[in-house]
Amino acid sequence: MDELFSIHEVKEEIPVDLNEIYDTVIIGGGPAGLTAAIYAGRFRLKALLFEKLAIGGQIAVSELIENYPGFPDGISGSELIELFKKQALKFGTKVLLTDVRKIEKIGDIFYVETEYGRVRSWTIIFATGADPAKLPVPEEEKFRGRGISYCATCDAAFFKDKTVAVVGGGDTALHDALTLSKFAEKVIVVHRRKELRATKILQEACFSNAKISFELEYIPIHVLDEKKVEGLEIENVITKEHKVLKVDGVFVAIGEKPNTELVKGLVEMDERGFIKTNEKMETLVSGLYAVGDARSTPLRQVITACGDAAIAASEVDKYIKNLG
Amino acid sequence: MERLLKEKDAQYIKDLFEKKLEGEVTLTLFIETKGPNVTKFNEQYLPYTEEIVKEVAELSPKIKMNIYTDDFEKEKEYNIKTVSALFIEGNKTNKNIVYYGIPSGHEFSSLLEDIVDVSRGKTELPEDIKGKVQKISSSIEILVFVTPTCPYCPRAVRTAHQFALENPNIKGVMVEANEFPEWSEKYNVYAVPKVVINEGKGEFEGALPEDAFLEAIYDAIGIKLV
Ligand SMILES: Cc1cc2nc3c(=O)[nH]c(=O)nc-3n(C[C@H](O)[C@H](O)[C@H](O)COP(=O)(O)OP(=O)(O)OC[C@H]3O[C@@H](n4cnc5c(N)ncnc54)[C@H](O)[C@@H]3O)c2cc1C
Repeated sequence: MDELFSIHEVKEEIPVDLNEIYDTVIIGGGPAGLTAAIYAGRFRLKALLFEKLAIGGQIAVSELIENYPGFPDGISGSELIELFKKQALKFGTKVLLTDVRKIEKIGDIFYVETEYGRVRSWTIIFATGADPAKLPVPEEEKFRGRGISYCATCDAAFFKDKTVAVVGGGDTALHDALTLSKFAEKVIVVHRRKELRATKILQEACFSNAKISFELEYIPIHVLDEKKVEGLEIENVITKEHKVLKVDGVFVAIGEKPNTELVKGLVEMDERGFIKTNEKMETLVSGLYAVGDARSTPLRQVITACGDAAIAASEVDKYIKNLG
Repeated sequence: MERLLKEKDAQYIKDLFEKKLEGEVTLTLFIETKGPNVTKFNEQYLPYTEEIVKEVAELSPKIKMNIYTDDFEKEKEYNIKTVSALFIEGNKTNKNIVYYGIPSGHEFSSLLEDIVDVSRGKTELPEDIKGKVQKISSSIEILVFVTPTCPYCPRAVRTAHQFALENPNIKGVMVEANEFPEWSEKYNVYAVPKVVINEGKGEFEGALPEDAFLEAIYDAIGIKLV
């Protein structure tokens, strides 16, 4: 029970200094943002980090991370984040729990709009990550939070002894299926391809779990019914045959949508909205660096997000020195 | 019972309290040991809730503690809805900062931050938001349903509690959904955080920024925010 009372996060009291020009403003408090904070602190940069929801980003909801080096027995997302955060604060970066609403560059200075006012900075490390892509059915809005969920760790407990569907075939989907299998009576994974994208070791864990079954080569069409979720109508991608799975909940893990609206039109993006950078994490706007899941990159993991951030912070340091 | 707080966490909190606490704070906890209100979930969690309240109270001379067991008179005075109600009280509160169910996991930080705010009698909400919160004159009850494993939930709980501290007409209530399945069912809670305003006049899912949260409250009481 003791893990229930360890300290995750205590909001530090830091008024934003609106007269200051910060060396860097880090936007996003996931693994990338926190790593940038650690490095910025060690470079003695005057840095400020803004996080809109909760320190930790996507990884905070992961029950067990088994591929981050240094933790041979795995570590939970919230524990790992607690360590990241401690390290970031130790080196002096200030962390504020509020969202950034607008970014503008006038001359050499960035203006970052928050509910505390307009913060000025020489550079920006953009680490806003990604959000889960929405379930593409007409009933998404109606049932979001009422049976359609994007966070198995948060919501699994509401489906004790029930039947749920998980849509998706990647690591997140199979992680979700395993988490849900601890509560639900039955978990059905719906995936549009014949092959799962997830790591083999996760596939094996799911295949050998009696509660988990698969509907492969199916896509979701509708979430039924009137008042609460009672079923998921799916369509076979080849035969176009329809059928209805009787489920009480639908968990969605079909990929990510980058949080990049803030810099739309400012920087170059790929067709899905991920920000293009060079190997120094520079974007088209000088002084604006993009890192982690928000970036157009071949792999979206904690370790790659951290790597990006280390590079960006070190580039910021050089950039600041060059400003004279 | 074994101690719940690890030595180094206890030290951290002690330091934090020493640095930040100003006025006195009282943690008021209601427990029932029998009767129809007690669910098997309460039975499971109540001992831990009681223990953590005691351990936190030990960490600063400025924190006082009242534990009422089967005290139905007091329960009336506090207008509690069910067992396992914890009130964070200070100079500026009005029995309006409440936790139903155990403040554990991610919510443990909410508890600590609440104690700091209540002790200082002020929040760090941006000034314009404070002004708009203080303008509300009708009585508002905000329920925030959470689970201890939800990292996005403290933001919603804290916003509700901060609003409550800024305005005695507002009551901010955390509800631990696992511990109160019937309550959760009543409001169709299938995902957290879920916020219910004035028994369903307004509701939303997810952690909203303070200004959007406030707008939802204004909407629920039928006032347009300008
Ligand atoms: C369930 C799950 C399991 C996973 N398991 C693993 C694993 O085992 N191993 C692994 O390596 N990776 C795993 N990943 C992937 C990993 O979580 C991501 O690659 C990583 O979190 C990316 O970090 P990031 O900092 O770039 O972005 P994110 O983690 O997405 O963090 C971005 C942060 O920015 C904030 N933000 C967004 N917009 C704003 C704004 N306008 N203002 C302020 N803040 C803002 C967001 O709230 C968020 O906290 C998993 C992901 C999920 C969802």
